Amino acid sequence: MGQVSGLVPSRFLTLLAHLVIVITIFWTRDDNIRASLPPSFTSDQYKKEDSELVTALSITLGLFLIELAGFFSGVSMFNNTQSLFSIALHCCAAVSLAFFVFESWECSTYWYIFTFCSVLPAFTEVIMFITVFVLKKKSF
Amino acid sequence: MALYQLFSHPAERSYRAGLCSKAALFLVLVTALTYIPPLLVAFRSHGFWLKRSTYEEQPTVRFQHEVLLVAFLSSLSGEYLTWSTFPTFNQLHGDNVRVSMMMAREEDKNQDGKMDMLHFRLELPLKPTEHVLGVQLILTFSYQLTRMSRFVMQSMAFVQSSFPVPGAQLHVNGDLKLQQKQPLKYRGVDTRYNVSVINGTSIFASDYNLKSIAAAYYERNVTTILTDSNPIWLVGRAAEAPFIINVIIRYPMEIISYYPGFWETIKFAWIQYVSILLIFVWIFERIKIFVFQNQVVTTVPIMTQEENYKEHLS
Repeated sequence: MGQVSGLVPSRFLTLLAHLVIVITIFWTRDDNIRASLPPSFTSDQYKKEDSELVTALSITLGLFLIELAGFFSGVSMFNNTQSLFSIALHCCAAVSLAFFVFESWECSTYWYIFTFCSVLPAFTEVIMFITVFVLKKKSF
Repeated sequence: MALYQLFSHPAERSYRAGLCSKAALFLVLVTALTYIPPLLVAFRSHGFWLKRSTYEEQPTVRFQHEVLLVAFLSSLSGEYLTWSTFPTFNQLHGDNVRVSMMMAREEDKNQDGKMDMLHFRLELPLKPTEHVLGVQLILTFSYQLTRMSRFVMQSMAFVQSSFPVPGAQLHVNGDLKLQQKQPLKYRGVDTRYNVSVINGTSIFASDYNLKSIAAAYYERNVTTILTDSNPIWLVGRAAEAPFIINVIIRYPMEIISYYPGFWETIKFAWIQYVSILLIFVWIFERIKIFVFQNQVVTTVPIMTQEENYKEHLS
């Protein structure tokens, strides 16, 4: 068992907070799409922006699955570095996405939040998977 | 005898690790996260850099005793009477000049050294057959502001009023308000508009034309205007009585906008930044204590002198 018991619940909470906000954006994405388009736009432009944002959100959900799998299966639950890294990034993501929703940011900003706060932790999670299952090293 | 805590002081514990360790990286990231987000928060919530500010000052206004009067009579051929304090203007208008009596007095009500009001009275002698229907009057002032930049200008109050019935007296009562199209500077001497509104030394008729005087005056970025939209006409002039114009102009306290200087802007930006920084410093201090104390990142904790001493004793 890892020595620090406060990290696991924190990681769980930040992961879920980020997940909840991403699911919320599925319902409130209209404001953000309108913010990215000029004042008068055609429905084709709207559909294009909409499909882009939906793609980004869906990929985020997929990356969440990878990270939650790694977390719940115990592969990275007790690894201090990965936990800390994940907590920090998902916390930033939750705060930024809260601003994204309330301040109606443009859709292009979602791609930045996605790169730093969804792709990075999922990437390190995959490295953890490889370390544990392929290289047979203990993760803590 | 009960014992009370009289004094306590914190004992410091330091954590050591190499410069290329996880702990060092963690510290660099946390420091960046402590000092950069407050700047972003302060900037994104608008008003970080103070671009324009206001202050209050009573200007020093003096009436320059320069008057230009045109009074329109009731004949169909456009007859008018005129008088001014400019000799060249009077010469140019020849027979239309009617010498008037002018009385002006400035009053400093609150005895602060700055004039607060102008009482101006002009009596235009008229023949019994002459009837005044309209008046155009220009009075000039020198206007000075001293708190921020030393701003000196020559300005005017322009009264234009007409009445369908021949009048006996005209009463104008208003404030001389400052109009700014552009904020003033915060320091230095500003005498861009310290040029007479009517050039008394000119010999050309075009320089005494009301239209060109007004056009040149309103091109300025800082002017004064008289705020009285309803001058009062009294009718029923006695046959031999002159036409009397009474003007009361107040010089009120003005709210003046200016471009703030470097240190004022920096002061307000610093206040905003530091007040948000305090919160972030407190939060990340707690996070750092948690991370280092619980060895989330591996470091070597160094004990203080007292704990070291006790260790040696036991």
